Amino acid sequence: MKTEQYDAIVVGAGHNGLATGCYLAKSGLKVLIVERNDYIGGAAVSRELYSGWTYSNCSYVCSLLRPEVVRDLDLARHGLQVIPYESGATFMSNGDHFAYYSDHDALRREIARHSKKDVDAYDRYSKFVTKQCRFIKPLLLRTPPDPVRFRPRDIQELLYLGKRFHDLGARDMADTLRFYTMSVGEFLDEFFESEVIKAHLAGSGIIGTGLGVYSPGTAYVLLHHYMGEVDGSIGAWGFTRGGMGGVSKALGKAFEASGGTIKAGSALDRFLIKNGKVEGVVLENGDTYTANTVVSNMDVRRTFLNHVEDGELPGDFVKAVKRFKIRGSSGKINIALDGAPTFNNIPGTANFLRGDLHASESLDELERAYDAWKEGRWSEDPYFDMLIPTHVDPTMTPPGKHMMTLFIQYAPYELANGESWDGPNRDAFADTVIDKIARYSPDFKDLILHKEVRTPWDIEREVGLTEGNIFQGELTFDQLLFNRPVPGYADYRSPIRGLYLCGSSAHPGGGVMAAPGANAAREVLSDLGRKGFGRAA
Amino acid sequence: MTGHRPNLKDGLPVRRGLVETPFDRHLRPFSLAEDWMPWAGFVSARRFETVEAEYFAIRNQATLFDISPMHKYAITGRDALAVVNRLVTRNAAKLGDNRVGYTVWCDEDGSVIDDGTLFRFSETEFQLCCQEPQYSWLHDIAWGFDVTIEDQSDTIAGLALQGPTSFAVLKEAGFDGVENLKPFGIMDVASGLKISRTGFTGDLGYELWVEASKADELWDRLWPAGQNYGLRPIGGEALDMARIEAGFIAARVDFQPIHDAQRPSRGRTPFELGLDWLVDFEKGHFNGRRALLEAQRRGPRTLLVGLEIEGHKPARDAFVYHGKKKEAGHVTSALWSPTCKRNLALAELRAPYGVSVKDDLWVEIYHPKEGKWEKVMAQAKIAERPFFKNKRRSATPPGLF
Amino acid sequence: MTQYDAIVIGAGHNGLAAAATLAGAGKKVVVLEKNGDPGGMAANSTVAPGYECPAMAHLLSNLDGAEIASLGLERHGFAYAATDLPTISLSSDGKHIVSDAKGVRYADGGALAGEAEFLTLRARLIRFADQLAALKRKPPPSLSGIDWREAASLGKLALGLRRMGKEDMREFLRVLLSNSYDTILDEIDDGPLAGAFALDSVLGGHVGPRSPGTVLTLMYRLANGGAKHQPRGGMGAVMRAFEKSAKSAGAEIRYGAAVERMVLSGDRVTGVVLADGTEISGARVLSSLDPKTTMVLAGVGNFDAEMIRRARHIRTKGCTAKVNLALSAAPVFTGLSDDLHRGRILHAPSLAVMEKAFNLAKYGELPTSPILEVTIPSLADPGLVDGDGHVLSAVVQYVPYSLKQGWADDSRNALGDVVVDCLDQFAPGLKAAVTARQVLSPADIEAQTGAPGGHWHHGEMIADQMLMLRPAPGIERYALPVEGLYLCGASTHPGGDVTGIPGCNAAKAALQVKLGRAAA
Repeated sequence: MKTEQYDAIVVGAGHNGLATGCYLAKSGLKVLIVERNDYIGGAAVSRELYSGWTYSNCSYVCSLLRPEVVRDLDLARHGLQVIPYESGATFMSNGDHFAYYSDHDALRREIARHSKKDVDAYDRYSKFVTKQCRFIKPLLLRTPPDPVRFRPRDIQELLYLGKRFHDLGARDMADTLRFYTMSVGEFLDEFFESEVIKAHLAGSGIIGTGLGVYSPGTAYVLLHHYMGEVDGSIGAWGFTRGGMGGVSKALGKAFEASGGTIKAGSALDRFLIKNGKVEGVVLENGDTYTANTVVSNMDVRRTFLNHVEDGELPGDFVKAVKRFKIRGSSGKINIALDGAPTFNNIPGTANFLRGDLHASESLDELERAYDAWKEGRWSEDPYFDMLIPTHVDPTMTPPGKHMMTLFIQYAPYELANGESWDGPNRDAFADTVIDKIARYSPDFKDLILHKEVRTPWDIEREVGLTEGNIFQGELTFDQLLFNRPVPGYADYRSPIRGLYLCGSSAHPGGGVMAAPGANAAREVLSDLGRKGFGRAA
Repeated sequence: MTGHRPNLKDGLPVRRGLVETPFDRHLRPFSLAEDWMPWAGFVSARRFETVEAEYFAIRNQATLFDISPMHKYAITGRDALAVVNRLVTRNAAKLGDNRVGYTVWCDEDGSVIDDGTLFRFSETEFQLCCQEPQYSWLHDIAWGFDVTIEDQSDTIAGLALQGPTSFAVLKEAGFDGVENLKPFGIMDVASGLKISRTGFTGDLGYELWVEASKADELWDRLWPAGQNYGLRPIGGEALDMARIEAGFIAARVDFQPIHDAQRPSRGRTPFELGLDWLVDFEKGHFNGRRALLEAQRRGPRTLLVGLEIEGHKPARDAFVYHGKKKEAGHVTSALWSPTCKRNLALAELRAPYGVSVKDDLWVEIYHPKEGKWEKVMAQAKIAERPFFKNKRRSATPPGLF
Repeated sequence: MTQYDAIVIGAGHNGLAAAATLAGAGKKVVVLEKNGDPGGMAANSTVAPGYECPAMAHLLSNLDGAEIASLGLERHGFAYAATDLPTISLSSDGKHIVSDAKGVRYADGGALAGEAEFLTLRARLIRFADQLAALKRKPPPSLSGIDWREAASLGKLALGLRRMGKEDMREFLRVLLSNSYDTILDEIDDGPLAGAFALDSVLGGHVGPRSPGTVLTLMYRLANGGAKHQPRGGMGAVMRAFEKSAKSAGAEIRYGAAVERMVLSGDRVTGVVLADGTEISGARVLSSLDPKTTMVLAGVGNFDAEMIRRARHIRTKGCTAKVNLALSAAPVFTGLSDDLHRGRILHAPSLAVMEKAFNLAKYGELPTSPILEVTIPSLADPGLVDGDGHVLSAVVQYVPYSLKQGWADDSRNALGDVVVDCLDQFAPGLKAAVTARQVLSPADIEAQTGAPGGHWHHGEMIADQMLMLRPAPGIERYALPVEGLYLCGASTHPGGDVTGIPGCNAAKAALQVKLGRAAA
C-alpha cells in the first residue's frame, strides 16, 4: 500500500481519459491515469489474441476523432495515421449487391442500377446530411448550457445556439427540427425508393443504439456517425494503422511526452470523498493516490453507482443516474482468416470489398432485427458492419492472411428468460452471424482460423462499458446536449466538488471522438483558473 | 431494375471511373494534347492540340464539340406542356412547335436550379437539355400530371457543329432542308437524327442530336464533308472562350445551381443573373413564381454583369471593388477576347453595385510574371452583352462563308 | 349565383367550428360535406336497426370549455351522458385496475403498489401538459420571424415553465421528446396500469410505446387533465351541436356535396366545383381535408413542387380500427361493478404487449391480441338503443392500413373475431350476445371520412409533425400559398381529437387576412 500525490487523476485510460490527461498534463499539471486493464485504450485497442494477428477487438474504425484534438495533442507526431477506406457494399439475397463507390460517377451508375430516381436523390441526401454536419460540428467542442439556470455563461451559450439555429433561415430551421426528431427510416423514405439503398444507409442510424430504423430520433444517430471526417472529407471513415489501438497508443505517447504517468493494471475501488469534495482515489489493491481533481472516464452509472459511497450524493442525482439509459445492443466478432474470402458474383478486385460490408437489404429487415432485441433475443437476421482492414493495412496479420471485424446489431444485454450469454448462447450467436455471411461467401467458413466472439457481457467485463454499450449511454434526445448525462450536470461536473466526467456519457456522446475528454479538460482547467483551449462554460 | 439479377461474369455491373461518349473513338485520335477532363462521368476533351487554334476555328471555320455528356430528358404525354410550364420560368406555350428556347428553372425560393435549352416538338413532346442532372426533380415537378419523363442522356449523343462554315459542312454532307432552319429551329433530318440551330458560341452553328447507336454513321458522314471547310474537333477550353464572348452564363461558374448548394444564400434569381426576360409572370403558376414576384418587388441582391476591363490581363478569379476600396463583388468568368479585342469578364456584383451604382468599378487582377506575382488595379466598365455579335449567326439561309 | 365569403370543405367538427367562427364574424359561409351527415370521424353509425353507436371516435377529452362556450354547444344540445369516466385496465389474472381523478386501485377496491409513483408521474405530466396547452389556441410559433402579436403566448409558455421551478423545467426538457415506455417504466412496473397510461400516448398513431416522442403525444392528451367524458347521444349528437352552432351563426350546410375541384383566378381561390358540376363561388376556401388532398383539389400545378413533396411526405399511416357491436344484453365483465361497466375499459395489459402488437402492424399483419379502448355507451345513455339491447364501441389500436392481404370482408371478419374473442375472455357470454357487428378498418375510415390512410389525426402526432412542423413546414399557419385558401382540419396545429380548435384557429387566421379587391 502506497500513497502518492498528484494534481489530477484520471480514472480509465480510454481515448477520452487519455485525451483529458493530455490536456491537463500539457497545461503543466502533474497527472496520473489509472487503468484497470493491463493495457491502455479502453475500447480503442489493438490486441493480439491469436498469434500473429492484431485485432481491433472493440472499436474498429475511425472518423469521429476531432481534428482539433489531433492537432492540439500533435497525435500525428505520436504515430497516429488514419487510412480512409474506399466504398462499401450491401449484399443482396438475389445474388446482386449495392456498392457504395466513393467515386461519385461510379456511385451514380450503381444507384441507377437499383433506381434511376434515387441517383439525384442521393446527391440531395448527401447535401442535406453534410449541411447538418456543418451545423453540428462547432457544437461538439463546446460545453452545453444549462437552460434553466440563466447564469451569464448559460445565457451566452443559449444565445449562441439560438443564433446558429436562426442563421439557418426558416426553411433549414424546419428541416433541422424535423431531422433531429424523425426516424432514419422515415428520413430515408423521403429521399429514396430503393430498399437496398435505404438499408445500406440506415445502418448508421442504429449502430450502437437500442432503437430501430423507424424509431424517431435515429436520424440524429445517423448524423452522429456522419459528423466525423478524415482529413476534411466529411463523413469519411478510415482504419487506424495498426488497429484502433493506434489512437490510444498515440494519445498515450502524447500524455507521457507531457510528463504524465499511466498506471495500468490498477483497478479503482472508490473515490476518496470528504465533505462533498473529492480528495483522490483508492485502488482495489489498497494503493491511495490523492489529488484535488479527479476525472472519471467511466460511464456515469459506473462512476457514481459503483465507486461513490452511499450518502455522498443527493438522492435526486442518484435517481437520475439510475435512470440514465445505457443499453447493450451490439456484439462483436473478430476473425482471423487464412486468406481473403470471396463473395458470390463479386470479383476479388472490387474495391468496395475493402470497405464496410453489409447484408441487410431492406428497412423492414432492419426493423425486424430490432424487434428481436426488444424481446431479449439477438437478431436471427442481424445487421452487421463487416470490414477486412487488412486489405489496406497489411501490418495487422502475416502476409496474405486477413483479419475480419464484425460489428453486430442487435444483441441485447439481457437475454429473455434470464439466460446467460456465456456458453452455448455465445456460440449460437456467433453461428447466426457466420452462417449469414457464409450465404454470401462460400469459402468464408473454411478460412476461419480463430474467432473472438464478444457479447454485451464480454464487452462490459473487459472494457467496463455498462451493458457493453459503445456510446456509454443511448443517444436519444432525453440524453443529449444539456440532458447528457443528467440535466443540470451537462458541464462535466458532478455534485462532488473536484470530480468530473470525461467519458462518452457526457456531451457530445460516444464514438472515438475525444470531444468529451477535451471538453472535460477545458472545464477542469477553467475551475483551476488555468487556460485551456476553446470556450469554457 | 431492382430484383433483376445482373450478369456479373465479367466483373462489376457498372463501370468505374470516366466512360467514353459514342464519339470518343472518332475524337480520340485527334487528341495530341491528351488533355481530358471529366464531364458528368464522361471523358471530355479540354483541348485537342492548342486552345488558340481551336478558338479561332470557332470564329473562322467549323468546329465539332462533343456535347453527348449533356443531360437530356424527354417530357412527353398529355400534360407535357403543363409540366414544362410548371418547371420553367418562361412560357413554353409561346414556343412554336419545332422550336428551341433557352430557359432557366427555379426552386420554391426563386433560386435558379439550372439553365438549359428546351426543345418543343409539339404540345405533348418536349426535350430538356442541361448541365445538371434533373431526373428526380422532373419527377417532383411532374407529380400529379399525366406525363412520362425519360432520361435520354445515354441514348442520345450530341455534336455541336459551330462556326461560320458550319452550314457549308452540313450542306456538303447532304443534309437537305437545313438552309431553311432558322435560329432556334429544330428539324428531323434523318431517322434518329435531329439538327437544331443552336449553340453556345454566339456564332453560326448547329447542334446535332443522334441516337447513340447511329453516332458512327453521323460521324462518317460529317467528318469527310468538313474537310474543305476547316472542320476540326475542339475542347472545352476554346468553347468556354466563345461562350463568354457570346455572353452566356455557365452553371457552377457564373452561378451556383441551388440544388448543389449547401448554403441557401448562394441561390440566385433569374433577375440576379440578368435574365429578367426569361420570367413570364402572366402564364400562371410555375415553380418559384411567388418567391420571384417577391424578389422582383425587393430588387436584386446581386447582379451578374458584363465588364470590360482596361489592360489585357484576363481578370480570372478577381475581386471587384468600388472606388478601389469597397469590395463590390467578384469576377466569375474572364478572358481577353481575341475577336473583340477587349478584356472581358462576367462578374457578380452585390447591390447596389451594378444595380444603381455602376461607375468607379475596379478589378484587382493578380498575374504571375515568371515566378513573381503582380497585382494590378484595373478600371472596369459595365458592358452590354453579348460582347460578340455577328449577323451570320441569324442569317437564313445562312452563308457558306 | 350566390357569392360566399367562405366555403368550408367538410362538416367534421373542425369544418363546422371554422364555419361557426366565420359566420359568427358576419361572414357568409357555406359548408360542403360529401356525406349525408355531419361528423366525419365523429359521427354515429347504426350498427343494426335501433342500435346507434359512435362510428369512430367515442369519447371526449380535449373538447374544452372554451370551445363549448364560444360555439354555444350546450345551447345546441350538447351534453355529457357521463363525465370523468373511470379507466379500467383489464388484466388476464382478473386483477383489473381502475384509475380516475382520485387515484388508482384494483377493481375490487384493493390498494395498488406503485400508486404514489404513478400519481406523481401523472400529476407532473399534467402540469407539463398545462404549459403546452398555452400554445394550442394560436397558430404555432413561426420560424420565419416572430409575430409580436403572438410572442405573448410564447412568453407565457416560457414564464409558465419558469414558474414550475428548476426541477420541473429540467424534467420537462428531458422528457419532451422521450418515449412513454421509459418515462413510465422509470417510475412503475410494467403491467396493466402502465399500459393504460401509455395507451393515450399511442392511440390513433403509428407508434409504439418505445417510440421516442410519445411523451409529447401523451401530454397532448393530458391537456385537460386526461379526463374522459361520454357525450349524450353519442358522438353524432356532439356533431349535431356543432352543426347547429354553425347554422345558428348563419352558416349554410350542404350535404351530399362532394367537391370535385377548386376554381382559381390567378393566384387566388374563387370557389369550388362540385361533383355534380355545380359551381359555388366564395372568396375563401377552408379545407378540413389533409394538405395533399386539398392541394390536389386546388390543382397541384398551383403549388411549388417542394411544397407538394412536403405534403406527400406527411406520415399518415393509419393504425387504428373500430369495432362496433350490437348486443342483445349488457355485457358483464368479471370482476367489474356495474358502475365500472360505464367506464372506459382498456385492454392494454403491458407496454411489452403493446410494443409487440405494434410490431405486427408495422409489417401489415392483423393483431393477435388486440389493444382496445372499449365503452358501452348505451349504459349511461339508453337512448342510443331502442329496446333492451346495448351497443359496445371498441377502438382497436395496431391495425394496419396497409394490410398485407388487403382489406376485404374476410380480413374485417378476422379482426372482428379477434376483438370479440378477446372481450369474451373478460366478459363471458359477450360473444353470444352479439347480434350485429360493424368493423371499420383504417381503409374503411379513409373511404368514409377522407382522412388519409384512415389516420385518426390526419397525420402522425409525433414531434416531427407537431407545432411549427404541422402539417408541414411552410404551411403551419393554416394559410396555403394560394390566396384565400386555408387548411382547417386535424392535420393542422394543434392536431387530432374532437376539439374544434384547428377549425377555430384556421377561421381566425382567415379572418385576419384582408383579401385584395378582386375577391369582392
